Amino acid sequence: MSVKIALAGNPNSGKTTLFNALTGSSQYVGNWPGVTVEKKDGILEGTKDVVIQDLPGIYSLSPYSLEEKVSRKFLVEERPDAILNIVDGTNIERNLYLSTQLAELGIPMVLAVNMMDVVKKNGDKIDFARIGKALGCEVVGISALKKEGGLEAARKALSLAETGRKGEVPHVFTGSVEHALAHIEESIQGKVPKDSIRWYAIKIFERDRDIIKNLDIGVGLMKHLEEHIRDCEKELDDDAESIITGQRYEFIQSLMSKALAKSEARKNKVSLSDRIDRIVTNRILAIPVFILSLCAMWFLAVSDNGPGTVLTDWANDGLLGTDGWHVPFTTHESSADGPYKNMDWEAAQEAYAPHAKNIEVWEGAYVEAFNGANKGKEGFEPIENVEGKLDERIAASVKAEASLEDEETGETVVDDDGKERRWTCDYAAYKASKAFPEPDPSDFGVWVPGIGALIATGLEKLGVGETVASLVNDGAWGGVATVLGFVPVIFVVFLFLAFLEDCGYMARVAFIMDRIFRRFGLSGKSFIPMIVGKGCGVPAVMAARAIENRRDQRMTIILATFIPCGAKTVIIAMFAAVFFREMWYVAPLMDVIGIAIIVLGGIALKKTRMFAGDAAPFVMELPAYHMPTLSGVWRHTWNRVKGYMLKAGLVIFPACVFLWFIMHFDWSFNVLADEEIEKSILHDLGSAIAWLFAPLGFGTWQDAAATVSAEIAKEQATATLGLVASGMDGASTAAQIQSLFGSMSKFPLLAAFSFMLFNLFVPPCMVAIAVTFREMGSKAWGWFAVGFQLFVGYVLALSVYQLGMLFSGGVFGVWTVVAIAADIFCIWAVTRKSKA
Amino acid sequence: MSVSSIAVIVVVLAAAALAVWRNLKKGAPCECGGTSRGCKGSCGCCK
Repeated sequence: MSVKIALAGNPNSGKTTLFNALTGSSQYVGNWPGVTVEKKDGILEGTKDVVIQDLPGIYSLSPYSLEEKVSRKFLVEERPDAILNIVDGTNIERNLYLSTQLAELGIPMVLAVNMMDVVKKNGDKIDFARIGKALGCEVVGISALKKEGGLEAARKALSLAETGRKGEVPHVFTGSVEHALAHIEESIQGKVPKDSIRWYAIKIFERDRDIIKNLDIGVGLMKHLEEHIRDCEKELDDDAESIITGQRYEFIQSLMSKALAKSEARKNKVSLSDRIDRIVTNRILAIPVFILSLCAMWFLAVSDNGPGTVLTDWANDGLLGTDGWHVPFTTHESSADGPYKNMDWEAAQEAYAPHAKNIEVWEGAYVEAFNGANKGKEGFEPIENVEGKLDERIAASVKAEASLEDEETGETVVDDDGKERRWTCDYAAYKASKAFPEPDPSDFGVWVPGIGALIATGLEKLGVGETVASLVNDGAWGGVATVLGFVPVIFVVFLFLAFLEDCGYMARVAFIMDRIFRRFGLSGKSFIPMIVGKGCGVPAVMAARAIENRRDQRMTIILATFIPCGAKTVIIAMFAAVFFREMWYVAPLMDVIGIAIIVLGGIALKKTRMFAGDAAPFVMELPAYHMPTLSGVWRHTWNRVKGYMLKAGLVIFPACVFLWFIMHFDWSFNVLADEEIEKSILHDLGSAIAWLFAPLGFGTWQDAAATVSAEIAKEQATATLGLVASGMDGASTAAQIQSLFGSMSKFPLLAAFSFMLFNLFVPPCMVAIAVTFREMGSKAWGWFAVGFQLFVGYVLALSVYQLGMLFSGGVFGVWTVVAIAADIFCIWAVTRKSKA
Repeated sequence: MSVSSIAVIVVVLAAAALAVWRNLKKGAPCECGGTSRGCKGSCGCCK
């Protein structure tokens, strides 16, 4: 038979950290309360049948919150063999409030005082023996984070569980209360387990409705017990529940005045955490500090020369792309004889670029001229490239306009004298360029070909046809590579978030937001799911379960996914790289817009009858700041990045293969050449709905396809854009995407911004939508949530594009009027008087 | 169409079908480290 040891304690006291250490699990640990909403089981390492049960963090055994209901039900009804009560050593007085209640359950208990490393560092001393004697249990000091003492505590709990040895139940109340409790205990004998009779007596004294109802105490007996309770209340001039709470705290204060010796130096000193909080939770500075931290995160992730961008460029072009990369520290100037002698790799590429351009544009012009000259001749088949078809007579007359473009921005390179690098290439120049050798990367260092290049070469060697090669290069691998290329950006964002979470700052953010939310009738409790949502919308929607009030819970579900999740981060990163490379602030702006929508959307919803009502109270303990451990930050970051990479393989890959097929086949299932894409199934499907997006500035079939496919997973938008833009003009994917937006709108930047806003703020991916439907409780509520999100995303993109065109280009039309009307409606919805 | 082309198509389609089947069986992965079918506790936020 298995032995069950329950980990119980206050929120954020380190239960899950200890659980992970004891069981070898990697459960999510959040440095804010409410992360664990349901009980989790794991086997104690080194044993076969000792089950460790991680309970949600609770402040008491009163059924006020979902966490308290879950924990109390388990402890009282299922009765584990032992309790390992984790208390935060840096805040022991508050934590012992729960310990006094756990001790009354009559279950063998070990008290593990956590964060002893911090306690010792602070110079405080805790008398474990005195606390143990007063509470009737064994007390040990541990540091769950540093994996010190946890196993010893668990072994002690196991030993108690096996022997069933319990300590004496503490008597913490004054004479009159104890007198009333004695009467109650006597009256309920036989109705409740003998070991926990005292706990039941106290609950009846507190008039706990659930307990009284479940025990089925007759009216007569209850009337008799009420007399004792009322006598006590009269004597102590307070209500029963307050009497119990007050006397518990008095008992703890009295105990700790003897058991806790605070360092003399610290007694009159403001702690470091308090000093930091004076700035970061300051009434005026809190929001600027929060925005600054968001800016810092995005600056590192997407600024032009930030680590995220540099590594993403390397991943896209080198590691995963069709080029390759030089192994660091092996690069050198070329020593090979020829035009590149003594040049480094970059200079060599620059020297060869005009020749490559000459070959590209002239051959294009020649193919066109050759096909034009031979059109209509019997048996003539148009050529696709020059190979073997060079007609000197035609070639001599072919001239092509060439220009050099920046690969990233797609803009024509401007020389120092201010002139754009443009020229005319004739046959002689083409021949000269053809004769000019292409630089060999291996002359400049150890060269590793990109995975894309290896795949393309492999397919060529296998003799695979052009269309099938495109299925792999553009469809299967191309899509996955587009998404995987952004792993460095995702990594930087998640690493930064993990650091902020683990050091204790994110808990402050909820506190800061509560102050703002409360003014508008919202609770800071709603912001916890939104913090979770920065990683993924699915757990964000789930985390709303912790909100007891159904009305506020539904509102939180509707609003939580407006915070751009990890997948949406990829869309931001792509657009920042392609369109807003010099404007790093566009990325944090998306987070700020998300929060603004949450606040304004919340205000608007609260003014309807469906959501009206006071905000739920939000009580949260702010953890002391501490330097996060490397392993903790790494685990948080890696778990999320791993999920993202898995999704690229399991979701993006099949989606891209499917999209490639419908992009390269017509309705009769004939294979289409690149120039025939406009006959494809994808083209027709995209065109059928593209009109919906035309007022938003991105009404092409390609953009429509990208937008709709983003419902599979948000990052699919980037993969689809890469796939559908592959047929556009441009030296790189970035240039092709720019060309795509430029082909539809005279304001490509505005259109791109609008596309980004729409995809970020409409309903999340289909998985999150499915979870939303489930958590909202009915189809009607699910549709309401999706409809609201769709309305917000559409109106936002419409307003930005239409008003942007109006102000920047004086363009005014029907859709400008619609945008203004929608904005007026939104302003009215936010500012009108509440109906309730 | 060459044998190698057919082989490549078969491999790509089989891999895509396998991914879809896996998602249908276990749920699609999400950034929380779990899957849409429920993290089984791995993210701590849902079950």
